[in-house]
Amino acid sequence: MSRGRRAVAAACASLLALLLAGCWDRRELNELGISMAMGIDRAGDQYEVTVQVVQPGEVTQKDGQSGRAPVTVYKASGATLFEALRRMTNDSPRKIYSSHLRFAIFGEEAARQGIGDALDLLSRDNELRTDFYLLVAKGTTAENVLDILTPMEKIPANKVYRSIDMSERNGGFTAAVSLDEFISVYVSDGKEPTVGGVEVAGSDEAGRFRENVKTIRPAARILNAGLAVFREDKLVGWLNEAESRGYNIVVGNVKKAVDHVACPQGGNVALEWVDSTSKLRGSVRNGAPRLKVDVRVEENIGEVQCALDLNRSSDIRELERRAEQRVEELARQAVEAMQKTYGSDVFGFGEAIHRSDPRAWRSLKKDWEEAFKSARVDVKATVKIRRSGTIVDSMRKKKGE
Amino acid sequence: MQTNGHISERQLMVLTFLYTIGTTVLIVPSGLAATARQDAWLGALAGIFFGGAILGLYVALWRVFPGLTLVGICEAALGRWLGGGVALLFVFGSFVGAATVLYYVGNFFNIHFIPHTPISFINALFAVVVVMGVRMGLESISRTAELMLPWFLILFVVLLATLTPEVKPHNLQPVLESGIGPVLWAGFSFAGTAYLPVVFLFSVLPRVRNPKKARKWFVSGAIIGGVCVFLVTLLCILILGPDITSRSMFPSYSLVKKINIGNFLQRIEAFMAGLWFVTTYIKTTFYFYGWVAGFSEILRLRRYQAVTLPFGLLLVVFSVIVYPDVAYMQNWDSTVFLPYILTIGFFIPLLLLGIGLLRRAGSKGSP
Repeated sequence: MSRGRRAVAAACASLLALLLAGCWDRRELNELGISMAMGIDRAGDQYEVTVQVVQPGEVTQKDGQSGRAPVTVYKASGATLFEALRRMTNDSPRKIYSSHLRFAIFGEEAARQGIGDALDLLSRDNELRTDFYLLVAKGTTAENVLDILTPMEKIPANKVYRSIDMSERNGGFTAAVSLDEFISVYVSDGKEPTVGGVEVAGSDEAGRFRENVKTIRPAARILNAGLAVFREDKLVGWLNEAESRGYNIVVGNVKKAVDHVACPQGGNVALEWVDSTSKLRGSVRNGAPRLKVDVRVEENIGEVQCALDLNRSSDIRELERRAEQRVEELARQAVEAMQKTYGSDVFGFGEAIHRSDPRAWRSLKKDWEEAFKSARVDVKATVKIRRSGTIVDSMRKKKGE
Repeated sequence: MQTNGHISERQLMVLTFLYTIGTTVLIVPSGLAATARQDAWLGALAGIFFGGAILGLYVALWRVFPGLTLVGICEAALGRWLGGGVALLFVFGSFVGAATVLYYVGNFFNIHFIPHTPISFINALFAVVVVMGVRMGLESISRTAELMLPWFLILFVVLLATLTPEVKPHNLQPVLESGIGPVLWAGFSFAGTAYLPVVFLFSVLPRVRNPKKARKWFVSGAIIGGVCVFLVTLLCILILGPDITSRSMFPSYSLVKKINIGNFLQRIEAFMAGLWFVTTYIKTTFYFYGWVAGFSEILRLRRYQAVTLPFGLLLVVFSVIVYPDVAYMQNWDSTVFLPYILTIGFFIPLLLLGIGLLRRAGSKGSP
């Protein structure tokens, strides 16, 4: 290579360095306000948006001693969510960056008015992913939930996110529903959405201060509050703990849970679910839908408070039979609550019919809500009890005999 | 004749493979799901069959006019002037193709990564690499394709493996809900996007060393490429469902956002986007190559390299204005593109083949 060509090549290479220096969309970390949770409320025809933003210095182990709160909350309102979020630049020195959002929470009032329009921004904006959870604040505003500092997790948004996750995976009390799951249910015909709910316990005023996490028992806490039932995009009501569990049973969403059945001789046995699956079936006979739920559960014995002979398989069979009744009862309660109180097919029976009999579904689709309300639902549970923990018989058995 | 090297049959296969996947994989699942709902994957499958027929046509054309590019075929079949005119249609087609694909590159970056960067800069940067490759000649870009192949395959296997746990089989049901019609229609649009543009690869075919053997490789490259797109479409339906798939601008990108193995292997979508860059690069490059090589053949230029720079500038400018807005783009892609590509990718080649066969029969018959 001649000297001249080498010089040209070097010049070209150094020109490339100009491109490396950055682009229009460079965003320095110290210019971003990382929002972990977004709360959406309505005030008249305006959206009130609150975001919980991490205070970068405060969440690190080393520097987090200045006494400032680990997160701060910004609030703004606007006719559209996008505007409201941008209006926060009046208050926040950093632009709100939403890629790390853990959940979006709707105030109960906003949820009752419908959340469909708000979901548009959440799925349209390129910063937002689709894997954050949707939640509803039971009996309060989203703002109040985001205003509470929590123990264990420095960032309250993480506490709420993990609580929902833990409760779903280990208790079956709630369901973690992400944005895209919600949307795909919302747009489908034969299924209505549900999302998890949270509520504020104690005085929510106290939750704002760092003192809330300095005491052993915080004055304000955020608790999971069962499932919120939607029809279309509007909140229509709430499921209590047993009904939420029942819902999870029907849709096969219980991974682990603990439940109890009564012993034949009195006293209770606690059973831990280790695995469960469910099958929804829907068919149409003479224009009337027949819906079936088949649940299979594997359980372990977790706690025995009666003189049960765990060496006898007949006793185990008896426990299984009782456990089956219990599962069927929970599932039936949830289904009945849906049919009688809310008229909302959150289980997706309509989709089951759509899958098995698309032709019949076409005529059923229009009045599915009514058809669902009066449909016959059969629940069949099969329970297998596998193990009994680290001991066999209960201490009580020896004493009792 | 221009001399810019020869390529092996394996290189032909690799570039046909990547060319078939390029941009198709980004945009086609959305259209398929809009037409055939949960049967989109069947539509893709049907598209591969249609694609087989289209490839059969190309192979036949290649056999009848061995050693000729599309421009050469047009002139051989229709004479210098008429043939030149028809050849201009092809050249223009590859020009439009290159510009629209480049627009997709900019649009994709703009939507997902760098929303405030002017699209002309993104396109210009991408086009620089395309023009550079084409100036270096066919051998260089074919070898580039070969070098990119392993990366593509690795990413593709990662995609399949990491997404399998997310699959929800009931998304496929009910199968054939609205009958076979929408499936066939989806198949047409699949073949239109994936296989009809293969016609522009005729600018490359005469440069293949061993045409007899290469035919097999050519067809299998395109078919395997179609199967990859089919798999991605299937995963879109299985994981996102037909609704979200049809509503997404780039469903396969929404798809890789779902990758999450144990809350650990996640958020790798920007990495997976390498799949689209590699294949889109090959697609843009060969559209561009077809354009400059075809144009200089019509004008009897000795070296097509002379026109690469000015045409590169044209390409960037046109790519910025080719679609004034996304609604125009979707309207064009769903209504205009298919008849357009059918004309230049199917009917004209069929006509040329007919003329070629008649000529051959005629010359055999005459003393």
